[in-house]
Amino acid sequence: MWRYLIGRVLQTVLSMLVVISIVFFLTRLSGNPIHLLLDVNASERDQQILMHHLGLDKPLPVQYGLYVRNIFLGDFGNSVLTRRPVTEHIWERLPATVELGLVAMLLSVLIGVPLGVYSAVHRGGTLDGAARVFAVLGQSMPTFWLGLMLILLFGVVLRLLPAGGRGGIEHLILPAFTLGYFTSAAILRLTRSAMLEVLGSDYIKFARLKGLHEQVVLWKHGLKNALLPVVTFAVMLFVQFLGGAVVTETVFAWPGLGRLILESITTRDYPIVQAGVLVLSALYLTGNLFVDMLYSYLNPRIRHARA
Amino acid sequence: MKTRRWVVSMVAAIGLLTAISAHGQAAKPEGTLTVAVATFGNERWLPHLYVGAEDVVLKPMYENLLTRDPKTGELAPMLAERWKVADGGRTWSFYLRKGVQFHGGRGEMTAEDVKFTFNTIAKDGSANSLAPEFRLIKSMEVENPYTLTVRFDKPFVVFGNKVNQGLFASVAFIQSKRYVETAKDDGAERLPVATGPWKFVEHVRGDRIVYEAVENHWRATPHFKRLVFVKVPEPSTRMAMLRAGSVDVIEVGGEYADELKQVGVRTLLMPNTSWLYIILGGQWATKPTYDPKVPWAQPDAERARKVRMALNLAVDKQAIVQRVLGGLGTVMGSWLMYPSDPWASDALKKPYPYDPAKAKALLAEAGYPSGFETTMNLTAWPGRGFLPDVGEAVATYWEKIGIRVKRRPVDRAIFAADFRARAYSGVALAYASPLVAPEPWEVLYRAGYTKAGLCLFVEQPKLDEFIDRLAGQPNYTERLRIMRDEMGPWLSEYVPGVAIGAAHTIAGLGPRVGDWPVIPGHMGFHNWEYIGRAR
Repeated sequence: MWRYLIGRVLQTVLSMLVVISIVFFLTRLSGNPIHLLLDVNASERDQQILMHHLGLDKPLPVQYGLYVRNIFLGDFGNSVLTRRPVTEHIWERLPATVELGLVAMLLSVLIGVPLGVYSAVHRGGTLDGAARVFAVLGQSMPTFWLGLMLILLFGVVLRLLPAGGRGGIEHLILPAFTLGYFTSAAILRLTRSAMLEVLGSDYIKFARLKGLHEQVVLWKHGLKNALLPVVTFAVMLFVQFLGGAVVTETVFAWPGLGRLILESITTRDYPIVQAGVLVLSALYLTGNLFVDMLYSYLNPRIRHARA
Repeated sequence: MKTRRWVVSMVAAIGLLTAISAHGQAAKPEGTLTVAVATFGNERWLPHLYVGAEDVVLKPMYENLLTRDPKTGELAPMLAERWKVADGGRTWSFYLRKGVQFHGGRGEMTAEDVKFTFNTIAKDGSANSLAPEFRLIKSMEVENPYTLTVRFDKPFVVFGNKVNQGLFASVAFIQSKRYVETAKDDGAERLPVATGPWKFVEHVRGDRIVYEAVENHWRATPHFKRLVFVKVPEPSTRMAMLRAGSVDVIEVGGEYADELKQVGVRTLLMPNTSWLYIILGGQWATKPTYDPKVPWAQPDAERARKVRMALNLAVDKQAIVQRVLGGLGTVMGSWLMYPSDPWASDALKKPYPYDPAKAKALLAEAGYPSGFETTMNLTAWPGRGFLPDVGEAVATYWEKIGIRVKRRPVDRAIFAADFRARAYSGVALAYASPLVAPEPWEVLYRAGYTKAGLCLFVEQPKLDEFIDRLAGQPNYTERLRIMRDEMGPWLSEYVPGVAIGAAHTIAGLGPRVGDWPVIPGHMGFHNWEYIGRAR
């Protein structure tokens, strides 16, 4: 088990190094930030001074070496735009992203799991059909369109909820639902199919034969076993929410990490893009590692096979 | 003549300030005015760090030495209560208003602060778009705490326009020397201090900037207690936020004008905020990147002119203004002039006609009966998101007269390198110049003057000659005559690019916003302190 875990951690570190390298070189292919930091009439001398100040006058391999060394020393550098530490910017935005991601995931699970169970138990019924329509709609509607429609309905027409920005709990509802609807539909489908498989298994038949109450059979014996792939999916979803909520963050003017990275790409703020992507990939890889470990723990067959 | 103009300016300015003061002191500041904008620019606060795109969000708290009269456009006092130009424009003396305080009890504004600000703008590595102009300063003398004399080697007859609040990118905002030196750049950027009617409260990068009204401000006490800028990049969200009452003012493009009307949203029209044209790259015969094969820049001046004229006649500018700008524009043939400018004569206002048949004939005369191949860069610039659509429309019109146009969507950061290096011979692009200077030759000083222009798009000895004459002419009336009767007609005849005309902008207003006096020709929001509360 320990050998397996150490191997997975090393794999994670190696993957992050690859990510760092790709991001470093790709950002430098996308244009020089000094062209956006200086006026078009800036002299050659002003350009050279700024290039030197930002360390962009050094050869690319030297820049790369310094960057990797500094990361290992815990220094992500300063934003080229604000010249403030990159970590300061990331920490400024991370709470908003985590807040949105957590609530969206919670909504996804609270909607997707009960509906999935209900749909599986009443397979072929009217409510199963309705749940499936809900799932198809959720997975086929573009996020930006759904977001705008919700803003128009709840913000403009009914005036029940704010149309954008971050503030109290009322600001969270629309963006979290927009972000969570797509995934709740996916969770619904996943829960439904897992439940159908579990409900057809011998141990469920045995539990029923034992005379256990149907609710106990469903929720204790059925759902508990069907949840394994759902939990895995939800953990990975949450990590994806942290970086992949750019569209939702943009539509709802939500000041999250995804928007920070997107804006930093347009302003060629290399250090923020690099650090942002690094944080997200670290979260993603850690999430993956966590799920792998969880699997090993929950399913002895996997643990033994890997050992 | 100069004295008379000065007296008229002073009387007008005093009248304006009196009216504005009365307006401003009508009520105690109350409530919050929330504004949704697409961008905050680079979000920098010090004069050597901001480029100019921050204008909208910096203007509430900063002030300049001078401003412009909203009615006449002439120079008017702000932090300087008067000024004197001597020695044919080589010496400028500014007499500062006494008792103007920096926010947070950081002392009185003096001539030392002005000198410090000018030096900061000019220092090496400065990002400020006016750095080249401020580097022309030969010396500055603090005569006394309220008098600063600025000297130049050569006449700088329009220096007043470089220290002016009433223009886009008013980049000479006066800073406190003592505070910036004590707090250092980092501290002064975290807690910026100025003299304006709004003081800094909070800045969360990419999200919001919060200001609070300065009560009993020397110039104007705002009507609202708080001014909050939120960054909302998505225009549909800005519209929805306005309609939902989440914000009071939104920045919005002309393409939304009809939609705003349909849903009954009030708008504020800001006329003549930029001048829209198509740059035809490569007209720089003395530069290493010059390509003599570019049809509009070829060595045969007459053939090149015919090509440029054909490119003008091929385009239906009125249709572009209607369809792309939502009708928010005025088609004009004169270069970098607005319909309201005193130097824009009726003849100059007349646009180049839309005449594709004549355009084809001219191309044939120039030796291109079957057209030629060219590239149209589709590049968006901050606050001017319509430019790629304009480029696309022009390319479509050119194709109708046989020109084969390759579209090249390119990010500004990528194109900026080519722009600086003049490495875009044979490439066209749509561009809109905001009014960074009231007199068109001041814009051409950057764009078409071989002795100073760094990103010039046209190089012509005759243009140099005009600019030399205008830059050394201290008499405004004579400059006006040269622009109207000589330079304007010459430019119309020379056809440096494809002229489309003046573009206007609009803002969407919520029900709580009352009167909002704006300075004509000023691109971007301004005069926040004068916005009234609706009854």
